[in-house]
Amino acid sequence: MRSDTLEVTASARLYGDTHILWLAMPASYQAAKPGQFVMAYIGEHTDPLTGRALSIHRTRAGAQGPEFALLFDVVGRGTDWLARREQGDAVRIVGPLGRGFEPQPRVQRMLLVGGGIGCAPLIWLADRLTTEGREVTLLLGGRTAAQIFPPSLLPPDVEVIVTTEDGSLGRRGLVTAPFTELLPWCDELFTCGPPAMFEALHGLLRQSGLRKPAQALFEQTMVCGMGICYSCAIFPRRGGVRLVCHDGPMFDLRDIY
Amino acid sequence: MPAPSLDLGLTIAAGSKRELRLRNPVMVASGTFSNGLEFARRFDVDTLGAIVSKGTTLRPRRGNRTPRTVETPSGLINSIGFQNVGVSALIAEVAPVWARWRVPVLVNIMGETVAEYGRLAARLDDVDGVAALEVNVSCPNVEAGGMEYGQDPALAAQVVREVRRHSDLPMVVKVTPAVTDIRPIVTAITDTGADAITVMNTVPALAIDARARRPVLPTVFGGLSGPAIKPIALRAVYLAASATHLPILAAGGVSSGLDAVEFLLAGASAVQVGTATFRDPAAPWTVLRELTEWCEREGVRDLRELVGAARRRD
Repeated sequence: MRSDTLEVTASARLYGDTHILWLAMPASYQAAKPGQFVMAYIGEHTDPLTGRALSIHRTRAGAQGPEFALLFDVVGRGTDWLARREQGDAVRIVGPLGRGFEPQPRVQRMLLVGGGIGCAPLIWLADRLTTEGREVTLLLGGRTAAQIFPPSLLPPDVEVIVTTEDGSLGRRGLVTAPFTELLPWCDELFTCGPPAMFEALHGLLRQSGLRKPAQALFEQTMVCGMGICYSCAIFPRRGGVRLVCHDGPMFDLRDIY
Repeated sequence: MPAPSLDLGLTIAAGSKRELRLRNPVMVASGTFSNGLEFARRFDVDTLGAIVSKGTTLRPRRGNRTPRTVETPSGLINSIGFQNVGVSALIAEVAPVWARWRVPVLVNIMGETVAEYGRLAARLDDVDGVAALEVNVSCPNVEAGGMEYGQDPALAAQVVREVRRHSDLPMVVKVTPAVTDIRPIVTAITDTGADAITVMNTVPALAIDARARRPVLPTVFGGLSGPAIKPIALRAVYLAASATHLPILAAGGVSSGLDAVEFLLAGASAVQVGTATFRDPAAPWTVLRELTEWCEREGVRDLRELVGAARRRD
């Protein structure tokens, strides 16, 4: 949980209202894992006050040293400010934070399901898993084509299935349809997206009777990102309370629903 | 580190058997440092003046529904609802870690009844690692909670007497700004056996979601903290200082060394860094370093030169 002021190495609108920001990666991020996140602080003043929690989207070698990317929809003052950063600007970042995905070591067939901007951390996971020689199928769902991460930017070994609710790209409908078809195939499942999608996936998983590990990245209003403010509570169905930033953001779907 | 010529030390309950010595006047505010264990892995907690624990209740609490926080201009409204492990787990699992630290730890306690305050005090008395109590008579978050105690001098005094009856620990009492005049409360607390006073808790506040046409927080109201409340806290400290001879620990938007200086000038003897830590985990140490640098630059030898120096002497 250290604070670093990081240089922006590249910044671009990547697709639709979705922006990518590449930052110089400090050495302390070497052990970071897909599913972990950072807090990005907006401006030099205290308004807006709190950081924005954003998953690490990807890493790359970079010309001047390693870099990592944040991928985000421009939805408010914070993300608008971030999107207006240019090469050479600085952004204060605290991270890497939280518990990321934990793929089992010896399983082969990985199913990744991203809803909307929830694809951000799954891209890095897909990069990693294909590098390790595993089979990866990535389902990308969105309301419309403008919300779909460009499949051309993915490793060629990743099988990508796109669904849009308006049918403007890929199959018309929700990710739940291809999910149902691919569930028997996969060994392990990783997902990030809106809570309604998690609930649907969990329902289908239960119906199938298949006991497949299903790791999901949860979201909740975060303030500190480090387990000290207790803002980002999540209440597992079986009782108790967990903090998304500290105990998660990765939880097995079955531990929450 | 401070130059040898600069004395940053502070004593609470000076001359009594409860005397508590702080190496410097920079503390953390309850609820903004958890119980410190996460920080101890990354920072040298022993260089701070004191740590204040998360608000602790007799039984564990799950806290409120979400959202629990909402950002406002230079501020944060929270309604966490005292999620905490409860005093038994605190004593069994956390206090033994504190016992290995040199920095004193104050345990912030919150009861739902006067008797509960007494029971909490009794449980924590003589526990290794617990240096003092900070009694929360002012939290605006919990419906059945401390609000009423902190808003009435007689009720506040009742709590202070009950805690004192059950514990010989140094006792700090944290007051609320949600009163017409803070002075009668501060006087009552002073007269009944407190050793220091934390001024102040969060400011009761409301955020509304216009599109949904309802409050953002499920509890409707929450407590506002952060730079937005600093001027309110400065006034509260200034007023409180006229009503007590006890050390005042200032809380409310402290984010820099200069903020700390302003609070000392208004009459505080120490500051608690709170919401600033949510923006930067190193904030308490930054405040300490900047305060030290300011004193060196200004030729201050003893912080007591500053305490209350901005107060009118008429």
